[in-house]
Amino acid sequence: MKLPMAHPEGYAGPAAAVTELSLAQVGLSQEVELVRIDLPAEEIEPLLERGVLPGCRLCPVRFSPSGDPIVMVDGVLLALRKETAGCLCVRRPDSEEAA
Amino acid sequence: MPLVALVGPPNAGKSTLFNRLTGLRQKVANYPGVTVEKVVGRFTAPGQGEVEIVDLPGVNGFSARTLDEQVTRDVLEGRAEGLRAPDALILIVDSTRLEPQLMLVEPVLEIGVPTLLVLNMADELAAREGEVDDDALAEQLGVEVVRANARAGDGVDRIRTFLTHVAERGPLPPRPCPVISNVTRDQKGLSLPVIDAFAARRRHIREVGRKSEYRPPQPSKLTQRLDRVFLHRFWGPAVFLAVVVLVFQAIFTWATPFMDGVEWLVASSGEWVAAQLPEGWFRSLVVDGVWMGVGSVLVFLPQILILFLFLGILEDSGYMARAAVIADRSMYRVGLQGRAFLPLLSAYACAVPAILAARTVEDERDRMATIFVAPFMTCSARLPVYALLIAAFIPDTPILGPFMGARAATLLGLYLLGALAAVATAFLLKRTLLRGSPSTFLMELPPYRVPSPRSLALRLLDRSKIFLKRVGKIILAVAVALWLLAQFPGGPMDPPAIEDSALGRVGKVMEPVIEPLGFDWRVGIGLVSSLAAREVIVGTLGTIYGIEEADEGSIELQAVLQQHLDLGAAVGLLIFFVFALQCMSTIAVMRRETAGWKWPILQFSYMLSLAYLGAFVANWLI
Repeated sequence: MKLPMAHPEGYAGPAAAVTELSLAQVGLSQEVELVRIDLPAEEIEPLLERGVLPGCRLCPVRFSPSGDPIVMVDGVLLALRKETAGCLCVRRPDSEEAA
Repeated sequence: MPLVALVGPPNAGKSTLFNRLTGLRQKVANYPGVTVEKVVGRFTAPGQGEVEIVDLPGVNGFSARTLDEQVTRDVLEGRAEGLRAPDALILIVDSTRLEPQLMLVEPVLEIGVPTLLVLNMADELAAREGEVDDDALAEQLGVEVVRANARAGDGVDRIRTFLTHVAERGPLPPRPCPVISNVTRDQKGLSLPVIDAFAARRRHIREVGRKSEYRPPQPSKLTQRLDRVFLHRFWGPAVFLAVVVLVFQAIFTWATPFMDGVEWLVASSGEWVAAQLPEGWFRSLVVDGVWMGVGSVLVFLPQILILFLFLGILEDSGYMARAAVIADRSMYRVGLQGRAFLPLLSAYACAVPAILAARTVEDERDRMATIFVAPFMTCSARLPVYALLIAAFIPDTPILGPFMGARAATLLGLYLLGALAAVATAFLLKRTLLRGSPSTFLMELPPYRVPSPRSLALRLLDRSKIFLKRVGKIILAVAVALWLLAQFPGGPMDPPAIEDSALGRVGKVMEPVIEPLGFDWRVGIGLVSSLAAREVIVGTLGTIYGIEEADEGSIELQAVLQQHLDLGAAVGLLIFFVFALQCMSTIAVMRRETAGWKWPILQFSYMLSLAYLGAFVANWLI
């Protein structure tokens, strides 16, 4: 599988722009693939250590009472703030073929 | 003796395994100069050999971004003071979260010493229909692999065999320190290489997982069901509040009989000791100085134990992670974050363990803010002072009918005042000294598990040792110093009147400064003595007014106080105690945890200014 990070200047042409969305926009039980993390370096590392890497599959399973997403990554439940989720750029896995 | 280090992610069962291997023979190592708590224990091999085992804090990586990672890294690289470089490693992972946790494998193997990989919670993996071929995994990774269930003791024999081999082989010859090089933050800017390094490692692990036929477990049904309630939009916060109330109830109500028991034990054993010693200065030193001083700390032990029991249950069951998620949003608004919830809750018993627990706050600025505001939480040492002054000055009139009297309302008000000060201070800090981009909050939610009584008990034992050691020493020193100051000039054979003693003179020197607050020299001495620990003031005032066996319930002491203080000054004194950082143990632990005097000095001056101002305003208004 190609890692999108290998193409820093826009990885797949115009079709991708349509299918690319932030994790905050993804509904419950919809599995998506992480494309890019738009966060400063020191905030990326904790995510990487927990397996949130470009190419990984994320699936929101629940929202906390304050509306922050709890996602399943590699079989692990991870709670994040919606601000962080807003910086995780994802796409729906089936759009890979479409693009 | 060879040293084996236990490494692994948080919540993988390191401490449970550690306790299994070392039994009760653990000691809390406290190496000077390093801001560390490493737990070192001993394993005796069936032959004659022994192995030293060090239990390290749980880490997700080795970037040394957090204190815990720093500690772990220092030990693994052989740079920790007082410890040799490890001669073997045990990497323990939760097999229900195998793939992400195996991310630690590569950097650990780089260290180049014999390593055992323990797949813990293997029973849970099987129960949830997960699978892994451990022989294939061992071949893929090139290490020995053992399946285990550390809680029940399954698989521990094979770990013992590994340790026995290490013991027989003896320590490795001296070698250059390894460097864990996987990810460096020194690389310029956003550093794609970091992501690439992780991505490469992740791909490798995925490949390893595939070749060893790893099938991840089904999501835990129990966890799904419980989370439906505990993270529910309405029930979630409701349960959260109930838990907080329960913890408070436990600390303040259930602990009382035990605390009374300890108090009685200290008092009666003090009398017994007094009876064994000939009358004279030595008896006075031992009984009034040492015994009562140490006793005043021992009294808080039941409260601290109950608190830690509850925190232990909440942590081990997996609820604490949910509580942090629920608390995060409101704490974020005031400049803190969800991970600060546990430390701040502990601070209601004592700020010392709270400041240590702040290490779990990953974001450094958030950790500093948490440490800084923790002493504003009403710790149990303030209670005797509040109790004495409220009983002496606040009439027992009902306010809300039978539900709340003026005294209870005052106490509640003091608690709220402290919490409010904490919130305001955190808010202020995040806009001044600790300004920066908004912090991140990431919380892994482990599957719910039934806490093991054995682990809980061992942890309580451990905690009480730390508490007694840390707090006891300081109190002992101050109690002796106060006693000495009260004997001079004149000496212990012919002690002076308290007013003429060195102690009395200290009070007199202070008098002009505290006069605007309505305090006289006696209260001044009390304030100085309470620098050691807040509750010391009760005993000190008793000594000054010449009342034997003064405690917060003493009617005589209340009567004298009413003569010497007016209402304004008494309220001022209460407010002074809400704000002031009169606790050497807190200052000491803060210096260690912030690696310097800057923060403790700032903290002390800030809280003292607030206290002085608050008391001044109260005395002026009333």
